[in-house]
Amino acid sequence: MAERMSALSEQSPSIWRRLDPAAALGRLSESRYWMYLLLVPSAILILAVVLYPTVYGFQLSFRQMRLNRPDLGTGFVGFKHYIYMWSDKVFWLSLRNTAVWVTFAVVIEFALGLVAALALNRNLPGTKIMGVLILLPFFLPNVVAGHMWALLLDPRLGVVNDILVRLGFLETYKAWFADPSTALGAAILVEAWHGFPFFALLLLAGLKGVPDDLYKAASVDGAGPIRQLRLITLPMLRSVIAAAVILRVIGLVNSPDLLLILTGGGPGQSTQVLSLYAFQKAYKDFNFGYAGALSVVMFVLLMVFAWAYVRVSKVNQD
Amino acid sequence: MVANLTRRGLMAGSAVLAASAAFAPMRALAATNINYWHHFTSQAEFAGLQAVMESFAKSHPAIQVTQENIPNPEFMAKFTAAVVSGSRPDATMVTAERLADMLAMEGLVDITARVDAWDQKANFPDDRWKGISREGKIYGVPAFAFVDWGYYRSDWFEEAGIAGPPATYAEFVDIAKKLTDPAKGRYGFGMRGGAGGQKYVLDVMEAFGAPVVDAEGNIGLDRDKAIEAVKFYAGLFTTDKVVPPSAPGDGYRQIMEAFRTGQTGMIWHHTGSFQEISAALKPGVEFKTFAIPAGPVARVARLAYLYNAMMKEENADAAWDWISYWGQTEPALALLEKTGYFPANAAVVNDERITSNPLYAPAVETLSFGILPANFVGIAGWSEHTVLAAFQKVLIGQLSAEDAVDEMIAGLEETK
Repeated sequence: MAERMSALSEQSPSIWRRLDPAAALGRLSESRYWMYLLLVPSAILILAVVLYPTVYGFQLSFRQMRLNRPDLGTGFVGFKHYIYMWSDKVFWLSLRNTAVWVTFAVVIEFALGLVAALALNRNLPGTKIMGVLILLPFFLPNVVAGHMWALLLDPRLGVVNDILVRLGFLETYKAWFADPSTALGAAILVEAWHGFPFFALLLLAGLKGVPDDLYKAASVDGAGPIRQLRLITLPMLRSVIAAAVILRVIGLVNSPDLLLILTGGGPGQSTQVLSLYAFQKAYKDFNFGYAGALSVVMFVLLMVFAWAYVRVSKVNQD
Repeated sequence: MVANLTRRGLMAGSAVLAASAAFAPMRALAATNINYWHHFTSQAEFAGLQAVMESFAKSHPAIQVTQENIPNPEFMAKFTAAVVSGSRPDATMVTAERLADMLAMEGLVDITARVDAWDQKANFPDDRWKGISREGKIYGVPAFAFVDWGYYRSDWFEEAGIAGPPATYAEFVDIAKKLTDPAKGRYGFGMRGGAGGQKYVLDVMEAFGAPVVDAEGNIGLDRDKAIEAVKFYAGLFTTDKVVPPSAPGDGYRQIMEAFRTGQTGMIWHHTGSFQEISAALKPGVEFKTFAIPAGPVARVARLAYLYNAMMKEENADAAWDWISYWGQTEPALALLEKTGYFPANAAVVNDERITSNPLYAPAVETLSFGILPANFVGIAGWSEHTVLAAFQKVLIGQLSAEDAVDEMIAGLEETK
């Protein structure tokens, strides 16, 4: 038998070489398919972790899924949830509040973050300690920050009210979260306090990459600090700003926790936002189908925003 | 030391270590561990839970209870996730209004046979089981009762020459007006218009003749009577102005703070806050308790029993021992002493430690006329998001009482 095999191998060495797995792998590694093969594990991981849940979320929005109404089944309902959403007043109110909430929070956070980053970038004595202090709010979990500010702004015991009354800005303590004209504004300020270090951190990292020579040259040409900011700093930070704004907007649109603690969406839904509404529909009404539809709308809005923002900011041209 | 270590010694040492490791789990298995979910919030409640756990550990040394606190607002979210993902605790706290939703998710274990064989069952009249039963099956054991009542500043009453607590809504408004003095920062009534306030809106509507579930079990609202009720209740804030301006956002913590710090003269709550208020104000001197006053049509005060239930069959005996322990005399009284929560066990209510305290008298009185909260699938979400939101809109002037009730009725239809 061994003799026959040996004879066979001598007769046709190429057949054995072809059947040898190591040789086959060697040949494959030299082919153009090798790179696709190397990508397979990552692709499987992405499919399992990112794509599957996303697709599941989309298909959930087309199904009946009320956990406390098993009698309704879990069948396909087409665009029922989206049609209902069209006439749902709370959805439109939440959409408007989401726009206000995100726009004001991002603008204030960006402004504060830029000021903080410019100050920290000057390398003055004590800036390292100041850097840590400025970042502190961001280290606090939303839940802790929410409860802390609920107490600080409390209409009876709140320190903020006390200071404002002593300074003469208020006659009596104000119930910030009980008044619809101030509830969303107060929540935005709390969010701005909590979120501005995110911008400060990213913008500071961006500022470290701006060459000093540009400022020196601008100084020689007579440009003052404002012109330097407008013509050098902000254009040089364009990519960082674009990334920071997109990330922050996504974070704000998707996170209901701060509003959940501060107002619960009230009074009278005056601080209701889309993420909070979806959360309540899922976990209070157990209507996961409708909550899924709300989430899909948020997803689409965020995708459109990110696409439009990248185009408008021309960050791709850098 | 290392130089003296021989191969034989190393082998022997390894064998001893391996044997110890093999026996260690057996020792651990000697005690059954069970997880218990609850939504206690206050320091007094935690002290009560600790007292019950300690006495349980003494009487059941073979069972180890691990308690896990789930904040009440997130409780159903966590419950849902546990059921869907199959990571259930052994036992959980259950409120009657959540039972329908929990059962619809098949989240609780039927314990009818265990309850029927329980020697304490006779001490729990039928009404105790109503809130935890469906179609003849029992899903939990009553642990204690939230008996609705009110607290009033007896020192303020004396100061204002008011003889005693109100017995009707009309008297209640009268007294609230007398106690209100915004210049002094005093308001007659601490309205809970924020989180948790929906319960009182439903109670007032029922007191005006608009129960959400009628005597025949039909779900719906009598529009006219509900409007009258909302006008009355919201009017305390909008027209009578006997309520602090913060009312639309005031939840439990805020109404308690306001009462304890001398901003409000009366609040409605239940017996569970008794110890907390006693820690800040002198019982019988600075504050007293009163039974919820009668409305124009009915006197509505809830007897909301709180139950403990089992969520899975595994460790069922140990879980049963734990949940049934709460219904016995000593743990019930230990909890009462720490928190003020009333025993669900009828035999314990007659204990001298309860009957001899005059401040408990309104709770004992309420036991005779109190009613269970309404319970149907979807009521928790509807009351929290539709009823409360609509009522808040009336408080802040965004809706009329008529429109608010229409929103409530429309929301109610969606639960069907």
